[in-house]
Amino acid sequence: MSRRLSVTLLTAPALIVLLGVFVIPMLLMLLLSFQDAQQAFSLENYALFFQDTFYLEILWRTIRVSLWTVLATLLLGYPVAMFMAQATGKMRGIVTMCILAPHLISVVIRNFGWVVVLGEKGWINETLIALGMIETPLRLLYNELGVVIGLTDSFIAYMVLALATSLYSIDPSLNKAASILGASRARTFFSVTLPLSLPGIVAGTTLVFSLSMSAFVTPALMGGTSVKVIPVLAYEQIMSTLNWPLGAALAFLLLGSTIVLVSLYTKLIENKRYKEVFAS
Amino acid sequence: MSFLAKVYDVELRNIMKKFQNNVVVQDFNLQVEQGEFVSFLGPSGCGKTTTLNMIAGFLEPDGGDLLIKGQRMNGVPPYKRELGMVFQTYSLFPHMTVAENIAYGLKLRKVNKAEMKERVDRVLSLVKLPNVADRYPKQLSGGQRQRIAIARALVIEPSLLLLDEPLSNLDAKLREELRDELKRLHHEIGVTTIFVTHDQEEALSLSDRIVVLNHGFVEQIGTPLEIYNEPASEFVHTFIGKTNRLEGEVVEVNGDRLTVRTNEGLLIHAAKQTRKFAPNQKVIAFVRPEKIQLSATESNEAENNVKGELQIASFLGSYTECEVKVGGNTLSVKVQKLIDKATEQEAAKGIVCYWKAEDVLIMPTERG
Repeated sequence: MSRRLSVTLLTAPALIVLLGVFVIPMLLMLLLSFQDAQQAFSLENYALFFQDTFYLEILWRTIRVSLWTVLATLLLGYPVAMFMAQATGKMRGIVTMCILAPHLISVVIRNFGWVVVLGEKGWINETLIALGMIETPLRLLYNELGVVIGLTDSFIAYMVLALATSLYSIDPSLNKAASILGASRARTFFSVTLPLSLPGIVAGTTLVFSLSMSAFVTPALMGGTSVKVIPVLAYEQIMSTLNWPLGAALAFLLLGSTIVLVSLYTKLIENKRYKEVFAS
Repeated sequence: MSFLAKVYDVELRNIMKKFQNNVVVQDFNLQVEQGEFVSFLGPSGCGKTTTLNMIAGFLEPDGGDLLIKGQRMNGVPPYKRELGMVFQTYSLFPHMTVAENIAYGLKLRKVNKAEMKERVDRVLSLVKLPNVADRYPKQLSGGQRQRIAIARALVIEPSLLLLDEPLSNLDAKLREELRDELKRLHHEIGVTTIFVTHDQEEALSLSDRIVVLNHGFVEQIGTPLEIYNEPASEFVHTFIGKTNRLEGEVVEVNGDRLTVRTNEGLLIHAAKQTRKFAPNQKVIAFVRPEKIQLSATESNEAENNVKGELQIASFLGSYTECEVKVGGNTLSVKVQKLIDKATEQEAAKGIVCYWKAEDVLIMPTERG
């Protein structure tokens, strides 16, 4: 058997599954999004989206919540990633375990955990009231803040691992070189470590942004009915309103916006110097 | 401190360092004069890099005082020490061009743009790489990278230049080239330099003085000639250059001349010894391979003439390395002339090794 043929045969099962459960349904959904109530070809679902500010607002909220999540995971994840990069092999393993362990639990259960913590009678509010620091409970749930907290918890592991991978590859003697040339630790971080971790930042932010844009469970559970995002809206259109064409159109608009934003972002960052320095 | 006390560029006073309970540097005392080139030489784990890191400020001594230009430096962070350092792995910033790398230290010192450019250009021509300013480090060869690293260290006009095995990542030919380059630069600039190496040839060729270290202790501090010709210990003698090591005991003493019988029964005559010995004392006799000559007949000039058989002759370009079996001992001999096949066969049957009595170094057996 030729090498080419055996490769084809070995990848065939995966290709068939991917084609059958992913590519074909996607194409069917795309066709569906261009149908009106009479199943005739129409652009009305897309037109509705751009004419009604209700939908545009929800898209903007989806993007806003995703950007806050990216920022929160980046700021909270960077120190952890730096710690991992500087730790010994054994410590690195322990930290990686700690970061991945929560993912062994279903996201639904973890989100309900947050409800217990952040709710009006949750321990954060109870503690703050008991200490006399606040009088009425803070609203930490069923608003955008709640969604960002939930998404940050869900996706911070991706950010940390992406950052750590690029921090590992930085030669530690560069810190020494900067230091002996007169750079303080803060200066060394901003002029050497941070720019050299750019590939990790790009990978981590892109990943967390895409995941947050398409997240459904967390916004549904921690955003409540008042904080709708596009995935939740699409779900409602399909499952409750049974308006499949509109739901499909929403899904493709979400996909399109994510692709456009991510491409613009990477285009912006990966300039001539970036390619010169980080190209393999 | 008295006002009359001499100010050295670097002074180590009883420097001690331990990792956990392991003492890695002990009783390190050293004074480096302005413009001096001093090497720390020793095998890995001897404490040379640890000491350099203490001078740089990356490690803190656990005992003793470190002074740079008369100022006590204990506890001063590296970025406040005004030093230049070159690392084994080049350590150029990969995201900066050559010019940006070199200008890094100048920027931190708030040098203005025009002067910065002038100084970068000047130091680039000093290391003979005037046309690479806009390239990135990965577009340069290993040798070029190390030259840029040297330029980056020198451009800030440091009070002291620290070199941490800067040549050991280069291949043999480049290493020699860059070694000569270092020598030329030191000659031109005259910056006080501390050079860490495990390569005795580098240390011998570059240094004004060498500090030989072993297991965290200073074995000897001296000029390359002193280190080579008057080693303070067996370790120094065997670490610097190849040598023949013959154990035995003293059979006769006559002033600074003595005769030693090796355990294998070979009689060795030695002269001009600085150490004192007594008959029957257990000693070790050392003879450098290049001090031994080979001849078909005995020599009148040399006190030591022994018959042996040539076993191996390896031609190594500028010299030939031979092994000669003499009784129970095997002598390593380095000769300048070429040995052809016929001579080699002749010598295998019998040849005379001869060397002068003053080329023999006698040392007492340690702990005996």
